[in-house]
This record gives sequence, structure tokens and C-alpha cells, in this order.
Amino acid sequence: MSLISFSFLLFCIITILIYFIVPKKFQWIILLISSICFLFYKNLNIYTIIQSLIVLLSSYSFGILIEKFRNEKKSKIFLLIGIFIILAQLIYLKYTNVFLRSFNLIFSLFNIKYRFILLSNKPVLIGISYYSLIMISYLIDIYRRACESQKNIFKCALFMSYFPILTSGPFIRYDNIKDKLYSQHKFNYSLMCKGLIRILWGLFKVIVISQRLGYFVDTVYGNIYTYIGFYIVIATLFFTLQLYTNFSGSIDIIMGISEIFGIDLPENFRAPFFSKTITEFWRNWHITLGAWLKDYIFYPLLKSNFIQALTHKCKNKFGKKIGKKIPLYICLFIMWILIGIWHGGDYTFIIGSGILQFVFILIEDIFGTIIIKINDKLGINMKTFSYKLYQVIRTYLLFSFAMIFFRADSVINALETIRFMFVWNPWILFDHTSLYAAGLDRYDFGVLIISLVALFIVDIGIKKFDSVRDKLLQQNIVFRWGVIYLLLFVIIIFGCYGVDYNPSSFIYRQF
Amino acid sequence: MKNIIKALIFVLIFFIIFNYVFKILWLDDNPLKRFYKEPKDSLDVIYIGSSNAYVHFNTVLAWNRYGYTTGLLSHDSQSFASTKLLIEEAEKYQSPYVYVIDLALSINELDSFEEAQIRRTTDAMNFTNNRIQMINKLLSYINVTSINEKIGYYFSFLKYHNRWKNVNRESFLGRDDLFKGFYYCKFTNGIESHDSYVWKNNVTKIEEENKEVLLDLLEYIKLNNLNVLFVIPKRIFKDEDQYKLNDVINIIKDNNMEVINFNTLQDLNIDFSHDLYNAAHLNLYGSTKYTLYFSKYLETKYNLPDHREDSTYNSWNDEYNRFKQIYKSINNKEYDELLDSYDY
Repeated sequence: MSLISFSFLLFCIITILIYFIVPKKFQWIILLISSICFLFYKNLNIYTIIQSLIVLLSSYSFGILIEKFRNEKKSKIFLLIGIFIILAQLIYLKYTNVFLRSFNLIFSLFNIKYRFILLSNKPVLIGISYYSLIMISYLIDIYRRACESQKNIFKCALFMSYFPILTSGPFIRYDNIKDKLYSQHKFNYSLMCKGLIRILWGLFKVIVISQRLGYFVDTVYGNIYTYIGFYIVIATLFFTLQLYTNFSGSIDIIMGISEIFGIDLPENFRAPFFSKTITEFWRNWHITLGAWLKDYIFYPLLKSNFIQALTHKCKNKFGKKIGKKIPLYICLFIMWILIGIWHGGDYTFIIGSGILQFVFILIEDIFGTIIIKINDKLGINMKTFSYKLYQVIRTYLLFSFAMIFFRADSVINALETIRFMFVWNPWILFDHTSLYAAGLDRYDFGVLIISLVALFIVDIGIKKFDSVRDKLLQQNIVFRWGVIYLLLFVIIIFGCYGVDYNPSSFIYRQF
Repeated sequence: MKNIIKALIFVLIFFIIFNYVFKILWLDDNPLKRFYKEPKDSLDVIYIGSSNAYVHFNTVLAWNRYGYTTGLLSHDSQSFASTKLLIEEAEKYQSPYVYVIDLALSINELDSFEEAQIRRTTDAMNFTNNRIQMINKLLSYINVTSINEKIGYYFSFLKYHNRWKNVNRESFLGRDDLFKGFYYCKFTNGIESHDSYVWKNNVTKIEEENKEVLLDLLEYIKLNNLNVLFVIPKRIFKDEDQYKLNDVINIIKDNNMEVINFNTLQDLNIDFSHDLYNAAHLNLYGSTKYTLYFSKYLETKYNLPDHREDSTYNSWNDEYNRFKQIYKSINNKEYDELLDSYDY
């Protein structure tokens, strides 16, 4: 069920109405029922039922066992078994063919004739990547005594399948959400208003900006031999914005819905395009995924016996400073490869959202202090607005470059795209027609520019005040309603939805 | 309570703005839409049909001659299957002396209507149960059954919101080439002479589906005791269509209802080389002849009232005068000169 569909709108209205009509003690049951409906919507079959039961039963039962045998070695064994079952299923369903294709590629490189036969596509439940990782963190948190296990299997099922987060996240932690998820909520008018405003803002980002950018990006990336040079440059810069508005917009919708239920979800974005480095960028982009990987992969890995021993060896061999860095970089590399795999597993994702990001961060770390010294010697003031602006633009360009791989159909296609990007044809920006021949006419460009300026202003507001909504709600009613009506009608009129548009697809949904 | 009132006011203002914005965005002003603008129980004749209805029958000329009012429930390629529901819709607002039903498209296969043709009718209708029924009925013929496809027909803004690029003066003020629904085709497109065109009397049975629609309509008319006059417009029909229309005429006559086939009426005096806009439509000369003849027939047969002295009908005078001015500005002569040249 797409977040931008009549069915989802109806589904949410019905759920919200029932949620606040039924006695409050049954509210979590309503959420569970609606989540199950959402999970199996047009996808109810024996495969998907088994998939969900595997994750639910293993996380529920091993959670209790881990807690029961907390002081014994068995606890760790139960944890490992639980993680293994959930992970094995996730890898089997989502990554088997990626691995098989990799093996086949290696075989072909070494002239080995044998080829693995790819598995036929089985129906996969929506949000499997999200809820698998969420339940793994649930087991680890119980093991770490960060939370108690849930004894009620239905409540455990609700935590696993809470429907707003199934399409695009964010990652939730049991300990942070359990009180809100199972507690009783009175209807709160101001919370509903806040939630609706956030949903509107999300819709604006997705159907006014992201979809519109998508027409240009799809046209150019679908015809890189026709649309070359500056077309590709613009499409690449647009794709980054498309990704951001699509993903953060869907998160806004999700968070708005959840807010109406009285359940706060963790923020997943914080104006990432104002970041001055790639490291800072990733602290503000898909925040909950980064936090999850740090807490459950990076730090445990860094503290593992193997890495500790390696650190010791490296310190002896390369000295304290460099020796400390090498194991850190190894752990970082592993984490970024995992981020690439999580985004889809194909080489394009591993390179675009994994390896290249790692390389940028590595360069920043290695050359950061050197650049500061050079700037000092050249007398460049790094605290000026212009220097910060340069850093922000540099970060945007680097991230956009990496996204060429993320967007391309294959690595070869990405390399071709980069090659054709360097064709010199700046006149397309000035001849009043060429630019409008790639999926967006002058009117659409006008809407796009005004919308992006609005987005930019709101993101500055988020950076400065944390919540622009709170500021808006403090204004007098005429201004407040005026802004909301404006937003509503911009969405209704300029949104890319309805009969003449393809249904909005969410770039992140597939994960 | 305060919050509920606030929310209700918010929603109310939203719908007021939405209604206005949507009217501007939906540029397709048409006779069917204009029908709703007429005061309740103010129409004496309601003319239902495809473009032949609103291009052939000059409503303001009929008014000027005889003082009765005619409403048009008509649009381009309007499916004949919509007729019964359009009468139901009309009955909610008007109590006409007679319904005139154009039969030109009564023989067209019901699955041959495309989205645009269906939409012209359904989009123009007020949002009522009738409209929902109309959409469901017309879409069932073209096998559109999924709710996701139908939703765009139920809520027209899903289709038209993206017409903001075409907003212009007309969007705000409405079309100025419709006169109480009547639209005139200004130029003769050099239609070849059709002297040899003679209506043939052969009969071919119409499709079973078309027959069902027709019989259902006749049943409805009888049940509601309505005055209905069926017409086959003066235009060029292919031989096969003539044969089928002859079957339609027979079915209607078998049900004791009246049909006028203007193609067999010599008194109408239509000259195809001069009075046709294209094979399917009369131009202004043809429509003037047709209206002069048919409006007199209607007035005599149904004893229609004359409202010309009634000030509540002033808008009809205004529209006739506006029509004459437009005619003069385009043709560089008075409309009365054209009327004087005809003898009906």
C-alpha cells in the first residue's frame, strides 16, 4: 500500500477513528490489527505468513529465554540463535540472488563454466529489512539488559509490525517506544494538528518536489546517450534532492500519522544538506540507521577480541597514532559495506552508499588536519560564511557524485554516465528550450524552484529552531491557517498525483 | 467544543476555496454544466443528446421567437446510455413540458466510448448518487471495474488539478461562445455536395446491448409518464447507421412514442453544400433553419408558454442580444438579415 494512495488515506482515517473510539485499553489491539492488515495487504499467502512468524516467534521466544538465563552462558547462545534465524531468513529472501550473481561473476572472470541458478522471486513481506533489524536489536537489548522482554506475544507482534514504520522506517528501539506503544492515549487536538501539518509537509516534499524531480532524472538517466553533459550534471544534482525529499517526505508522513496516535518516533533527518562534511552529513541523514549500525555493529566490532588484538599489534608496528586508526578504519569499512548491502546489495548500492562514502570519510579524516594547516598558512579564514558555504556545496557535490552509482542500473552504466557527464554543452542552460525537453517544462521548473526555496527555508528553520511547526503554531490564527491552506492547495494543485501521473513510488520502500 | 467548531470552520473554508479553485482549474465549460445554472423549474424543454443537440438547436433563437426556454443536457459524443440517468438528474431541478432526445448515438457500440467522452458527461454533473451511478454504468461497458481507476472519475480534481498550466481569462470568466448552452459552428468547411444523399429504408437490428438500453429508457419514460420526443438529427449518416436507426425508430414506434427523422423531412430545406459544418454537424445557417422549423413544431405541439414579458427571464434576452452582437462582429452583418432570408 503506497503512502500516496487513496487506499492508504482511507486505511489511516478508519484506523485513527477506531483507535480513538474504542476503550483506551484496546487501542494497542487496534494498532496491531491495522498493522497486520497493512503488512498482508494484497500479499497474504503461506510464504508471507511463515516469514512473519519466523521473525515473531524467534524474537519472542528467544527474548524470554535470553532474559531467563541472563546470568548463564546459555543466554549468549540463545541470542546468537535468535539473531541467526532472523538474519538467515533476511539474507535468504533479499540477498541470495545478489550473492549468487557475485559468484557467477567471479566464475566468469576465472573462466569457470559453472553458474548458479538464481532463485525465483518469492513474495516478500513489506518492510522485512526494517522489522528484521528492529527485532535483532530487541534481542540484543534484552541481552544487554537495556530492556525487559515482552511476555505478551501480541504486544511483541505490534512492536515488530507497527504499520507506520514498515515502509521507510525509522528504526525504533523497544525500550524507547514500548511505553507509548502500549499505553492509553486520549485524543489530543493539538497533537492531531501537529501530526496533520507534518503529514502535509511530507506530502509536499514527495508529490510536489520529489515526483517532479523524478521526471527529469528518469528522462536523463533513462537516455544517457541522448541527454549528455550538463543534463547529467543537473539530473545527478536533482537525484540527490529527489532521494532526500522522497525519503524524508515519507518519514514526515509516517511520523505525522504516529504523532496522531500519540506515539513519537525518532527523527531520521535533520537538514542534512547543511552539513559541512560527509561525516556530519551521515549524522543527519537516515539517523536511526546510522545509530543502529553504530550500536549493534560498529562498537561491538571495535570492542571485539579480534579488533582489540589487531589494535595492539598495529600500535606496536605503526606507532600509537596510526596503529589506533587502522582497526578503526577496518571497522568503518565493514560498517559502510553493510550499509551498502542493506540498501539493496547490488554493487551499485555497495559502491554508491557504501564504499564511496567510506572513502570520503577516510579522506576527511586523514586530510582534515592537513587542510586546516594549509588554510592557516594561506591565511584562509575557515570560520567565514563563504568558507562554510564552500564546505556545504562540496559535501552536496560529493554525495551527489556517489549517488550516480546508487541511481544507475549497473556499475557499467554508472561509469558510462560519469563519462558522458563530462561532455561540454553549457548552452543547454541558456537556449530556453533544451532544458525543458527532458521531462519538465518551464512551468514545472518554476514550481520546482519555488518549492525548493521553501524547503530550504524550512530546513534552515529546523536547523535553527529544531521545530518549525512549533513556531508556526505559536503564530496567530490568520497566519497559521493561511500557511496551512497555502500548503494544502499547493499540494492539491501542483502535486504530481492522480489520473495523469504514475502512482508515487517510494525509493526507499524496497528496503 | 471550541476545537470542534474551529475544525469545522477550517474544513468549511477549505471547501469554499477548493470549490472556487476547482472551477478555475476545470476549464471545460460546457452546456451540461450550464444546465445547473438555470433557476429551478425554469426550463420548458430539455434537449438531451450528443453534440448534435447543442450545435443544431439554437436555444436563444427559439426563446426569441416563441418565448419558451430550452435546457441542454448535451455534450460531445455523449453516450446514449447516459440518457435515462440524465433525465433523472433533470427531474431533480426542472419540470419540463417535454424532453427531446437525440438518437444519433443510440446505435454506437457501448464499449466504443473513450475516457474523454465519458468524462465530459460525468465530470459536468453535480456530485450526487446519480453521478456515481452514471460513472459505474458507463465504465461497466468499457470494463473499468477497479476502484483505483474509478476514483479518478468520482473525484474529478484527481484528473484536472494538473491543468494549472492552462489557466487563462476563460478559466475565471467562463466561455463566451455558449449561449444558454448553444454553440454555433461559424464556418462551412467546404463539404462536398451530397445531392445524392437519400435516407434508405433498409433495417438492420441494433446490438442487443443497445436495445436493452433503449428499452430500459422507454420503460422509464412510460413509468414516469413523461412527454418525450425522439429525433434523428439532420446530418450525414453512413448507410449501415441508417439501417440501424430505422430499427431504433421501429422499436420506439412500437412503444407508441413519437420519432422525427429530420433526414426524411423535405420542409427543412437543408442544403448540405451550404448548411453543413462537417458531415455530422450543421453550421450556423443549418442550425438556424433547423431551429426555426423545430422550435415552431415544439411550440405548436406542446403548447409551450411564452415568458418574454416576464422579467425573471431577462437573462434569456441578454443572451440572445449577446449572441446577435457576436454574430455581427464575426459575420459583419445583423443576424436579423439572415433570419429574413429564411421562410419558416
